[in-house]
Amino acid sequence: MLSSLRNTGHKGMGRGLLLPLILISAAFLLSGVLILFLKGNPLQAYVALFKGAFGSPSALINTVNKAVPICFAAFAVAVSQFGGTFNIGVEGQLLFGALGATVTGVYLRGLPMVVHVPICLLAGMAFGMVWSLVPAALFIKRGVNLLVVFLMTNTIASFLLQYLVLEVIGDPNALRPASYAIQKSAELPYLLVRPNRLTIGILLLLLTAALLAFFMKKTTLGYEMHAVGANRSAAEYAGIKSGRYMFWSLLIGGALAGLCGSIEIMGNHHRLYTDFSPGYGFDGIPIALLAKGDPWAMLLGGLLFGALRTGSINMQAQTGVPDEIVSVIQGSLIVFIAGEYFVRYLLQRGRKREVEKV
Amino acid sequence: MNAAFFTLILLSIIRLTTPIALAGIGNMFSERVGVLNLGAEGMMLCGAFCGVLGSYLTKNPWLGVLFGILGGVLASSLHALICVEFGGTQAVSGLGLNILAAGLTTLLSTAVFGTNISPSVPSIQTTPFLAGIPIFGGALSQLSPLIYLSVPIIIGANFLIYHTPFGLRLMAVGDDPKTVETAGVDVWKLKYAGVLLCGAFCGLAGAFMSLGQLDRFFEDMISGKGMMAVIVVKMGRWNPLGIVATALMLGFFDALQLQIQISGFLSIPPEITQIIPFVVAIAAISLQPKGGSGPKTVETPYLRNRYKF
Repeated sequence: MLSSLRNTGHKGMGRGLLLPLILISAAFLLSGVLILFLKGNPLQAYVALFKGAFGSPSALINTVNKAVPICFAAFAVAVSQFGGTFNIGVEGQLLFGALGATVTGVYLRGLPMVVHVPICLLAGMAFGMVWSLVPAALFIKRGVNLLVVFLMTNTIASFLLQYLVLEVIGDPNALRPASYAIQKSAELPYLLVRPNRLTIGILLLLLTAALLAFFMKKTTLGYEMHAVGANRSAAEYAGIKSGRYMFWSLLIGGALAGLCGSIEIMGNHHRLYTDFSPGYGFDGIPIALLAKGDPWAMLLGGLLFGALRTGSINMQAQTGVPDEIVSVIQGSLIVFIAGEYFVRYLLQRGRKREVEKV
Repeated sequence: MNAAFFTLILLSIIRLTTPIALAGIGNMFSERVGVLNLGAEGMMLCGAFCGVLGSYLTKNPWLGVLFGILGGVLASSLHALICVEFGGTQAVSGLGLNILAAGLTTLLSTAVFGTNISPSVPSIQTTPFLAGIPIFGGALSQLSPLIYLSVPIIIGANFLIYHTPFGLRLMAVGDDPKTVETAGVDVWKLKYAGVLLCGAFCGLAGAFMSLGQLDRFFEDMISGKGMMAVIVVKMGRWNPLGIVATALMLGFFDALQLQIQISGFLSIPPEITQIIPFVVAIAAISLQPKGGSGPKTVETPYLRNRYKF
C-alpha cells in the first residue's frame, strides 16, 4: 500500500529546493492562465496576493498564524507515514482534539494559566489519540482497510462535533454556531499583541518540530519505527514487531492532530466553531509527502499554504479576482506534488545531457 | 406503516443509492487497473457542473448528461496523466483533484451564471411515460430515467469486467502488470482506459445529482458522495454486485435516518441520525472476514522503462 509513499533520500539542499520551486511556479502559471481567461490580470493578482501575505509585519503574523495548524497537521501525517501508515484521518482527529481542549477550557475553572493551558493541550492530544484508536485497532487487529475507516471517522467526527456544539456545549448567544468561550486562563498567552496577535503556538510548533526531528533521526525507537515504515517485512525479519510500531505511529499522529486542533482553538478562536477547520487535515497530506518527513521542510510548506489563505483576501479586495482561485492554485499544486517523480526524472535527464555535452 | 410511506422510503433509498453505486462502479474500474481514486468527489463535481452547463447551453437535459460524462472524463484524464504516465502518488493526486475541482467549478459557475448557484435548467427528474402502468405507475414515474438507465449500465459493467477479454485484461493489469506487459499487451493503454472509464461513471453520477435529482448546480453539491464511492468499492470487494449491495445498504440507512429526521421519531437530533450509516458501515467492515480478492497493485505506480532512473 505504501510503496508509492516511498522515502527517497535528500540530494543536497539546492536541489531539494529546486523541485518545490518548479512545482509551485507551474501551479501559479496554470492558475494565471485561468485568471487571464476570467479577464483578470494575473500579475497584479499575484502581487496583491504576495502583499496580503507578506507585505507588512501584521500580514506576516497573520500568515504565520494560518501556517501553525497546517504545519501541525502535516506533522501528524508525517509521523504516521514514518511508521508506514497513511493517516488520512487527521481532519477528524483535529476536530476531536479541539473538542477536548474546549471542554477542559470551558468547564475547568479557577486554575492558574500555567496549569490550565497544559491541561487543555494534553486533553486535546488525548482526544485526538482516542479518535484514532478505533481505526488503528481495527487496522492492526482485523486488517480492515485504514483509508475507508478514516474517511468514515472524519465524517462521523464532523457530525458529532456539530451535535455537541449545537446541543450540549453551545452558547445560545454566539453569532455563529459555537461553544461557550474558554476561560481566560486557558487562552494561549501572546508573544506579541502589536501589530497583530501572535501566540506561543509558534513556539510550540518549533519545539514539536525539533522533538520530531530528534525522535526520527536520533532515537532507537524512531529508527525501528522508520525500519517498519521503509520495509515492513524486512523489519519483521530483524525482530521488530511491526504491528506495534504502526499502531503507535497512528496514535502519535492522532495526538499531534489533536494538538493542532487545540492550539487553533486556544490561540485563535477561543471558542469551538463547528466550521473552524477549512480542511487543515487534508492540507497536511501533500506537505508531509513533499517534505519527505523533514520537519523543517514541512514548516516551509505550511507557510506557503498559510500565505495562500491569508493573501487571497487582499487579492480579492484589491484586484477583484475571486479568492476561489486559491483553491485552484492549491489544488493544482497538490496534483503536481503527486507527480513530482516525473519532474525529478526530467531534472535528472537534463543533468545527464549536460554531462554528455561536457 | 402504510403503503404510501413504504413507497416513499423505497424511492428515497433508490435515489440515494444511485450516485454512490455509479461512482462506485467507476472507482472499481480505476482500482482494478491499480489506480486508487480519491478524486471521485472532484470528478463528480465536474460531472455535475458540466451537466448543468450542457443543459443550460443546449436546453436539452440529455445532451447535458453527455456533457457531464465528458466533464468527468476530462477531470479523470488529469488523474490518469499523473498516476499512469508520471508514476505519481495516487492518494495525493486524488485529494488535489478534489480541491482543484471545487475551486474550478465555483469559479466557472460565477463566470457563466454570475453566482455560485446556477439558475434552474432543463432537467430529467421524472419518467412521465411510466405513469400509465397500473398500480406501480405513479411511483415509478417519480424516478429519473437515469435511474432506469443505470441498471443496464451496471449490468453491462459487470459483463464487461468478467466476460470480455478487455475486462479480464483490466483485472490482470491491476494484479500483475509485469506479466501483462511480458504477454505483449499495452499496460498503460489499459490503465488509461480504466481511469477514464472511472471518470465517465463519476461524471454520470455527478450529472445524475445535478440533473436527475435537482435542476441546478451549486457549490459543494456532492458533499461526501464521492468518498462514499471510495468506501463501497473496498467494502464491496471490487465486484459490481458487492458494490451495488454495499451502496444499497448505505442508501437504506441514509433513507432511514432521513425519515427519522423528518418524522421527528424519538426526537433524535439530525446530527446523530446522520452518523447511523457510517457507524453501521464501520461495524460491517470490521465484521467482514479477513482477506479478499482486491487488485494487488493499487497505489503502486508502474512506470514505462524510459522514465526510470
